[in-house]
Amino acid sequence: MVLGNYKTVVSARSTDKEILKGAQDGGIVTTLFAYALDEDIIDGAIVAAPSRSKPWRGHWDIWRAEPRVVTTRQELLASQKTGYNICPMVTPVKDAVRMHGLDRVGVVGVPCQIQGFRKAQLYPIAMRDVPDKLALVLGIFCMEVFPYQSIVQLVEDHLGKKIDSVKKMEVGKGKFTVRTERGETASIPLKDTHKYEQPGCHVCLDYVANLADISSGSVGSPDGWSTVFVRSKKGEQIWNEAMTAGMFETKPMDQVKPGLDIVKKLATEKITKNRKTLDSRATFGVGKGLRNPYLNL
Amino acid sequence: MQRISNIFKKQEPEKPVTKKFVEKKAESGMKEGKPVAEKIRAGHVHESGCTGCLVALADNYEGILKILDRYVDWVYDLTLADTRHIPKMDVALIEGSVCLQDKIAVEEVKKARENSAIVVAIGSCACTGNINRFDRGGQANQPQHESFVPLSDLIDVDVFVPCCPPTPEQLRNAVLMAYLLLKGTDDQKKLAGRYLQPLMNLAKSPFFSKASFNTLMQEVINQGLCMGCGSCAAACPVRAITMEYGKPQGERDLCINCGACFAQCPRGFFDHGLTEQYESIMELIQEVLK
Amino acid sequence: MTKVVEISPTTRHEGHSKLVLKVNEEGIIERGDWLSITSVRGLEKVAYGKNMEQVPKIVSRVCGICPVAHTLAATEAIEASICCEVPRDAHVLRVILQCANRLHSHALHNILTLPDMYLPGTDKKINPFSPEEPVRSVAKRIQRLREIGQTICEIAGGQSIHPNNPRIGGMYMNVSPRAKNKMYDLTKEAIPLAKAQMDFMIAVLRNYQKREWAEVGGKQVPIPKNLGYHNQGYMATDPVYGTTSFAENPSWDAERFMEVRPWDWYMSEVEIDLADASYPVGGTTPVGVKANPRIEACNGVPLYDGQPVEVGPRARLSRFKGFDEKGTIGQQVARQMEYMDDCYAMLSHIDELNTSGKVLADEIPRGDGTCLAWATNEAPRGTDVHFARVRDGKIHDYSMLVPTTWNFPTCSQALAGAPWQLAEVIMRGYDPCVSCATHMIVIDDDKKILAQKLIQ
Ligand code: SF4
Ligand code: SF4
Ligand code: SF4
Ligand SMILES: [Fe+2]
Repeated sequence: MVLGNYKTVVSARSTDKEILKGAQDGGIVTTLFAYALDEDIIDGAIVAAPSRSKPWRGHWDIWRAEPRVVTTRQELLASQKTGYNICPMVTPVKDAVRMHGLDRVGVVGVPCQIQGFRKAQLYPIAMRDVPDKLALVLGIFCMEVFPYQSIVQLVEDHLGKKIDSVKKMEVGKGKFTVRTERGETASIPLKDTHKYEQPGCHVCLDYVANLADISSGSVGSPDGWSTVFVRSKKGEQIWNEAMTAGMFETKPMDQVKPGLDIVKKLATEKITKNRKTLDSRATFGVGKGLRNPYLNL
Repeated sequence: MQRISNIFKKQEPEKPVTKKFVEKKAESGMKEGKPVAEKIRAGHVHESGCTGCLVALADNYEGILKILDRYVDWVYDLTLADTRHIPKMDVALIEGSVCLQDKIAVEEVKKARENSAIVVAIGSCACTGNINRFDRGGQANQPQHESFVPLSDLIDVDVFVPCCPPTPEQLRNAVLMAYLLLKGTDDQKKLAGRYLQPLMNLAKSPFFSKASFNTLMQEVINQGLCMGCGSCAAACPVRAITMEYGKPQGERDLCINCGACFAQCPRGFFDHGLTEQYESIMELIQEVLK
Repeated sequence: MTKVVEISPTTRHEGHSKLVLKVNEEGIIERGDWLSITSVRGLEKVAYGKNMEQVPKIVSRVCGICPVAHTLAATEAIEASICCEVPRDAHVLRVILQCANRLHSHALHNILTLPDMYLPGTDKKINPFSPEEPVRSVAKRIQRLREIGQTICEIAGGQSIHPNNPRIGGMYMNVSPRAKNKMYDLTKEAIPLAKAQMDFMIAVLRNYQKREWAEVGGKQVPIPKNLGYHNQGYMATDPVYGTTSFAENPSWDAERFMEVRPWDWYMSEVEIDLADASYPVGGTTPVGVKANPRIEACNGVPLYDGQPVEVGPRARLSRFKGFDEKGTIGQQVARQMEYMDDCYAMLSHIDELNTSGKVLADEIPRGDGTCLAWATNEAPRGTDVHFARVRDGKIHDYSMLVPTTWNFPTCSQALAGAPWQLAEVIMRGYDPCVSCATHMIVIDDDKKILAQKLIQ
């Protein structure tokens, strides 16, 4: 089951013009959070935001992602841009339910981070008051992410662009592409980026955030649209309400190109490759292996 | 309770609940238990800890009243009950490290092992030594009290519930799962066994009872497993961990050796199949406490 | 003829302790020793040489019921030693944290006390875990009060058990306006519950006071009218919070204090020659066993003007409000009376909190090692004093003088005159926290040393 449990999968796009303008793809996450804030489903959300640039680190830090607790639509919109580098989304979850005073928290993350959130719910070893406060868990498809320095080297060395001139970064169609403020685009084949990936991604067995309430990503849907898996009961309820409220326009997955098959193909590729990595880790040294964290695989 | 069978329909076949538990249960002399056959006998044994672990259990608020009403006979607990000597129990929750130079403490912890089917080490003092790893004696009125060790240095421990303090929710889950393991249907036993398995693995781990921030480095980052989720930083009860460029940085001068960062890390342990059932497991827990 | 009976371990309090009692032919205590038998972790010695930021986190773990007291006393003793003033809003957050902890702790102590007490109008002792009414509603109310206390602790302090928001120089984070409102609403909810709980407890306590006897192990034991009386005097430093050596007018005088080892104050070796197997639950220590309190004691004996004193709710009420009821019941009533003041203090400080105020000092000195400073914190069980000397960010001297340490020798005095079967009732009146009490400083040789260091 490379795509995990889900109730429905559709291709969708936000109907909110303001959100779409700044959106990476179909604006699913931002729209769902905006809707949930509006409808009082969540008190606030933890989102990835550009690090507040610190002058002493240089202004190029705007592409470095940092988790932030937001409680208003304005704050939410200000944090739409992200750049494929590691953003530790679980970090502020306890502060969110304590000093921020949130009783219902929306969270978003790539598959492994959603695993972290669900583990926090099922095994709340150090997560007092977190398990019952995650009101909306949104997942994002992910093949791998990069350390921030990898992004800098890809953009500035491989593509020859100053990182602070980049307006948009994209991974898709086998390429890593950036568009700069001067309207230029530059890209390199994804295979050239592999060596810069975060090593921990190579043992990840989830491509489409199987454990989220709702997960989404651009793969499988046309440009400007997102593929959306509605997974949990809670996810289904919120999704249906948002649909009724007209937050999204949707198309059935079997009527869009390239469709669900490509999602399945990429998911299978990722999981097969990473299972192999896990196997090879078991015999990595001479009569010695590396640790495998997974039980009952 | 209906739901548990549903949970197992979706589950792949798996190892049966460890034999040791079943055997021990048989010999623990349950006949002398109260007439309420479905309840388990459990208690709290206090060693060199701060009672914070017990307070955390009591911080299930109304939930703890329900647990005591329905599932657990609380047979021993110097703080909450009157019994003075450790009786036979199904589940002993032991808090605190053991002082090797304190005869009473060493005897007590051995007695607790002897008298209990399942020993759960609650809190980091019991699991990893926690701040007691810093102790070095020399203090009035017992300057010879110098060596404090986690439980598993002296006795076999079945389940670890680390963190300082452990959380009410995790203690609740461990107690309810222990109940299901002993008194549940076959399916419930299987679920409980699978749920408790990683916590049992921690108890048997060659490194975890020596945990500190270094453990996170050695067993996650150094092993190429970290994916930068930040669970460790959120977990740390003393704010010793910050995320620097997506990876944990530990302030070792703050770390108290609680092991929570490693235990909470999804790359510390993770069971995909079980976690996939998070909805039904959480519903189950809610339901049994309704 | 005097006989010796030993109750070990004592129950329904934090930690391990025991009672060694010399009793007359009627079973009345002539002399009692109450002592800690909890392993001595020596966390004060642990502190030596450690980073000043870490020490409050370590000593918080002395006690999981009153961790707030230890965190704050440690933090403020260190701040006093390095001469660091914390911003106003950090202080306000700390006071909120303090009140929230006291709310939970007093409520928890109600659970530990109730099994000794009777439902008014009946001869039935109260089992707080019984699902029957009216007890179940009381248990739920207690748990709700604790939940409110612990939740507010968590918001203001980051964690309820071992708070992690306080730090040297202030707090890590201020709270959001939403969190402030949440604390306010919770406190408002607590006020009527606390009032009802106070009324209930006082009624139960007064009822006990009027009773002729209490049932212990199947026997009717007469309750003396002077249960728990002593003439040791009281010590308190603030109705709610505490003071430090850095304050303009410190309300505690370190020069009047000294601490000695139990050798001078406790019995030497005795042999148990009275035993009662029916004493609940599990009986007293069998005849023939030897006890040696002065050697076994894991606590010290702190003195104020050369005598043990009582600390805690009654001491606070006596010093600041003229409350003067003696004995165990007076002490217990005083604890219940603190509920309301605690809630109001919490509410007014929540009101006072500016959520956009800064909570961390701009400059945090590292300490030059000249100043042995102290801070007191009025923990639920009484005055908690921590001493610290800091040099270059490292701890050079560290000592703790925690509430139950003060109360050990005082309570020992208060045991005399009561039937031995009620010794634990007297002891529980002090809400003992024994793990705390195994931490102490001992300055028996020359108390001037401390005084001199303080003056520097
Ligand atoms: S683990 Fe923490 S809460 Fe538990 S006894 Fe130890 S110090 Fe106290
Ligand atoms: S919790 Fe584990 S995987 Fe997540 S950031 Fe920390 S070490 Fe890395
Ligand atoms: S870094 Fe924090 S969570 Fe990890 S062992 Fe140290 S104190 Fe515990
Ligand atoms: Fe205490």
